[in-house]
Amino acid sequence: MTDEHVPPSPTDGGESRAPVRLAARDLSVGYGNRLVIEGLDLELPAGAFTVIIGPNACGKSTLLRTMARLLAPRGGAALIDGVDLHAQPTRELARRLSVLPQSPVTPEGVTVADLVARGRQPYQRWFRQWGAEDSVAVERALALTGLADVRDQSVEALSGGQRQRVWIAMTLAQDTDALLLDEPTTYLDLAHQVEVLDLLRRLNRDGGRTVIAVLHDLNQACRYADHLVVMKDGRVVDQGAPDKVMSAECLAEVFGLGGVVVPCPVTGAPMVVPDAPA
Amino acid sequence: MRTGAPSYPVAGRVVVSAGPLTFVLRRRAAGMFLLLLALTAVAVVLSLGVGSTFVAPADVVRALAGDGPFTIVVQDLRLPRIVVALAVGTLLGLSGALLQAVSRNPLASPDVIGVSQGAGFAATVVMSTDLGAAWLGPFALLGGLTAATVVFTLSWRYGLAARRFVLCGIAVALATKALTEIFIVGADAIDGQRAQVWLAGSVAGTGYAEARILLIPLVVLLPVLLWAGRAMDTTALDDGVARGLGVRVTQRRLLLGVVGVILAALAISQAGAVDFVALAAAQLARRLVRAERPPLACSALAGALLTVVADLVARTAFAPVQLPVGVLTAVLGGPYLLWLLVRRTP
Repeated sequence: MTDEHVPPSPTDGGESRAPVRLAARDLSVGYGNRLVIEGLDLELPAGAFTVIIGPNACGKSTLLRTMARLLAPRGGAALIDGVDLHAQPTRELARRLSVLPQSPVTPEGVTVADLVARGRQPYQRWFRQWGAEDSVAVERALALTGLADVRDQSVEALSGGQRQRVWIAMTLAQDTDALLLDEPTTYLDLAHQVEVLDLLRRLNRDGGRTVIAVLHDLNQACRYADHLVVMKDGRVVDQGAPDKVMSAECLAEVFGLGGVVVPCPVTGAPMVVPDAPA
Repeated sequence: MRTGAPSYPVAGRVVVSAGPLTFVLRRRAAGMFLLLLALTAVAVVLSLGVGSTFVAPADVVRALAGDGPFTIVVQDLRLPRIVVALAVGTLLGLSGALLQAVSRNPLASPDVIGVSQGAGFAATVVMSTDLGAAWLGPFALLGGLTAATVVFTLSWRYGLAARRFVLCGIAVALATKALTEIFIVGADAIDGQRAQVWLAGSVAGTGYAEARILLIPLVVLLPVLLWAGRAMDTTALDDGVARGLGVRVTQRRLLLGVVGVILAALAISQAGAVDFVALAAAQLARRLVRAERPPLACSALAGALLTVVADLVARTAFAPVQLPVGVLTAVLGGPYLLWLLVRRTP
């Protein structure tokens, strides 16, 4: 896997980043006439790698999409550093917070560098379409994600893992303090899942970015998260450090799954082992 | 061009700067623009020369400068109609590019989403009643815009949903077409035939009065079009991705779509439902430029070129019988569409 190795970069610009406090206050969100989230209160720790988990249809993606202003709340507010983020100009918000929606469709024939360069959109004007700082941000995003060698290739021609790195690179070119990702490892094989999560962890640790992701895999959530948010039926059931939150009771109550939680032999993080097959 | 400008990280594109202003240019788009411009100029000179009196290209150029024996033939008899053909093609090309970008669908064009059919219905009503010919243009414009409004309203669902847009358009187009046919069957034979010719689309007998109606709005909309050429860059992205980049997706898509519809309705109000130009011009330009969405300026030129060439052939192929230009574009458009579908390159 040497060709997919991501070199560490000394030019992450992390020293200039400020931790971002995201919060929900009495937040209600829904589709049509159905509320998915009702009166939710939540504070996400600034500067941490937060992972939101929960069974299907628990509202975790809805919450993330609302925190990224892709969905408008029905009631209450989503806050960034204490201010209602839906009331802010979307362009200004795009300079502080970037979001990667679930499985975005790649535009036909677009090259890696082209897609990454689109991350500069919030800084561009019709009469000021490109500046030196835009080039710097794009080069840094390509270097951080190890994509400099494939910059001129078509995104469609890349492997699933590489393609996901291109999308992450686009959000990095946005040069924001916070990064929100909706199931960034879906449809990837295990090696590529680990690769993407390692990258996100590095962006959090070295770059000082506040990272918030929705993940399906409980073991990966426990392995990578500083802070775990467990959701069920549109409510936050529990939150905190993975070793405080993840337990056999949580597994049974939230996921309706019998099993044991043991320390991971590699990292010591909680590891979920479901009961023997029937 | 200043040498200190930062280089653009994408191959084939350059940053052009003038003082504090910077613009990103696709080299290939610029090249294709010049090529299409040259081809259009050649087509115009040819078209001005061909007819009951043949005028050699050199004499056409001299006549355009107001010199030589063919000034009247070229400037007064042939040029007005060709200017209309150029304007109609330009507007349709722009419209096709805008609508295809907004709907992310290469099939979207004014004749697929009901604008042509709405205009055609209104025109048929005017022709089969006692309203004068003066009402034809305004009614057709209104008909096209009304049909488009219905389509926009039907496809609105938390914003302009790209896929619904084309489906609703096809439904409205079919329904309006059926209504038109009921009117034609009910009208007396001569009115019905006139309506049929109008529906086919023709620039025969048009001149500077029509050209003005087309070109003045084009000039007025120029600032919007300059904005649109760049705003279209984000239409190829998912709504969620574009929103995350700080784009007001709904407003942007609506404005681009509305401009596209207005341009098409204008063109159709003056020349009838010239089929396939909008669809083909945008796809042709997109392939020439190798872009992920139709390039606006090249689509405009491709539309102008297609219409002038189609009009030239329609006028001369079966001389002295003149075919409506729309018949020819439809004949060319069908196979072209099939070719696009068969030769779908990855």
